[in-house]
Amino acid sequence: MSSYVRTTAGTVGIAIISIFALLPFYIMMIMGTYQNEDLFQKIVLVPGNYLLQNLQTVADSRFDLVYVNSLIVSIASTVLSVFVSAFAGFAFAKHEFKYKKKIFAGVLLTMMIPGQLGLVAYVIEMRSLGLSGTLVPLILPWMANAFGVFWMTQFIRGAVPTEVLESARMDGCSDIGVFFRIVLAFIYPAITTLSLLVFLWSWNNYLLPLIMINKPELFTIPLGINSLGTAYRTDLAAQILGLTLGTLPVLILFAIGSKSFIRGLTAGSVKG
Amino acid sequence: MNTVKRRWVPYFFLSPYLILYVAFGFIPILFSLYISLTNWDGISGKTFVGLDNYKFLFNPDSYFFKSVGNTMLFVALTLPLQIIIGLGIATLLYSKWVKWKAFFQLINFLPYIVTPVAVGLMFNLLFDWQAGFVNKLLLQLGVIDEGIYWLGDPFYARMVIVLMLSWKGFGYTMIFYLAGLANIPKDLNEAAEVDGATFLQTFWSITLPLLKPVTVFIVITGIIGGLQLLEEPMLLLGGAGMGSSTAVIGGPDRCCLTTVWNMYDTAYGSTTRYGLGAAIAYGLCLIIAVFSFLGARFQRGDQG
Repeated sequence: MSSYVRTTAGTVGIAIISIFALLPFYIMMIMGTYQNEDLFQKIVLVPGNYLLQNLQTVADSRFDLVYVNSLIVSIASTVLSVFVSAFAGFAFAKHEFKYKKKIFAGVLLTMMIPGQLGLVAYVIEMRSLGLSGTLVPLILPWMANAFGVFWMTQFIRGAVPTEVLESARMDGCSDIGVFFRIVLAFIYPAITTLSLLVFLWSWNNYLLPLIMINKPELFTIPLGINSLGTAYRTDLAAQILGLTLGTLPVLILFAIGSKSFIRGLTAGSVKG
Repeated sequence: MNTVKRRWVPYFFLSPYLILYVAFGFIPILFSLYISLTNWDGISGKTFVGLDNYKFLFNPDSYFFKSVGNTMLFVALTLPLQIIIGLGIATLLYSKWVKWKAFFQLINFLPYIVTPVAVGLMFNLLFDWQAGFVNKLLLQLGVIDEGIYWLGDPFYARMVIVLMLSWKGFGYTMIFYLAGLANIPKDLNEAAEVDGATFLQTFWSITLPLLKPVTVFIVITGIIGGLQLLEEPMLLLGGAGMGSSTAVIGGPDRCCLTTVWNMYDTAYGSTTRYGLGAAIAYGLCLIIAVFSFLGARFQRGDQG
């Protein structure tokens, strides 16, 4: 078999699998361009002409507000989580202190604990702190992200040369200065990967907002998609469009960042 | 003087994480343990009931073991499919026989990043009895005479969930296998090729064994993650706008009730039994701990 035939066969094989991966998205997007009644009548395979009207229906349900809420939660969670994790990772990777091994073992152990374990009490804690009417409860869990700490520790240990840190300190750079000027520059790939993951997880988070958030003006995307269904029970088309719109930001982020995301995973997880 | 000052440095960097974890992670976990020993609806006073909630988990009315069994069934059926498909695609993508690798890699990873709520609703629409794409296609092709009630039959509903989870998850395993393949030294495969080994021989006796750590990682994280399954079946079977209501809990005959769904429904759905809900969470954690322990032993025993 010539290499040309092989390449063609391989590419066609992957393309066929990729069609299956994409098919549900495609049907979803197409369905969003039709009038609701049409969806019950026939199989739709090419775009219809009802997109603008469906967009109007979605816009009328204040989906923009839901979007802003989700952006606030995900951006805040991502930035804070990366900072807290990188801080702790720097301590574990490049400093010596009492009980270091034991504390790190504790961090590893908490990675195994399912997030639902403290959920019932967490909700009560947030209520008694008066935070239940805000978006704060959706951000706090990501700030104490054991996976992030583990990830950053591994990466900083491998990627940041200790000699560079030493010489910067010799030159009179403060420890905080060392972190912001030197460590951050070395761990750029790890920051990208962790940011994408935390953004994805917090964007998709459903259980906690479902329990914590009662006011529609604080709904995040997963709750918003669901409530589109309640408000427009019969309007499948508008709802499907809402699904598509809610998925779009993470699709774009991963399309842009996928290369460095995979590079970060390759460098971090499997070797570690 | 400098050294005295610097002793505080690691604690300074560590403290944000430790303080946040203790305040919003550890204390809720401890408090949940206490709640699991009480009878409490969140409004009236707590009554201490000892281990009664845990004993009730063994009562079929709690659906605890049924939900654990359902969840494990989904993991057991889905994980092998995800591993086989993911490994197959990763091997193809890593070989020299495929063009536009980065493009195909991204496309096959897309299902994993879609909001689980959207995945559940999407498959709910695809398999809808009346308006669903699948039934319309099968009718059109003449395979069936009338629409199949996919989500109303326990067997079909479970199969739809397995299909949905496999579709969503194979891109995740693919990414990790790609990372693993990239870490295998190239000269190993080349040496085998020089010695006249076929592609399949090389794959079975060199690639697969070297990918074992990746497989173990995928299996362990897959089980831990899979046991926490919630949104996809909830939205698939609840459908639009019913995911949070008490309309359909767990699908036909509760055949698709997962453990976390059961916990949610107990504490915040059909009933507001916080104590029992917390006990379900601890029961799930215990099961996950057993699997993590076995997984860790398996991995260690392997290396020794």
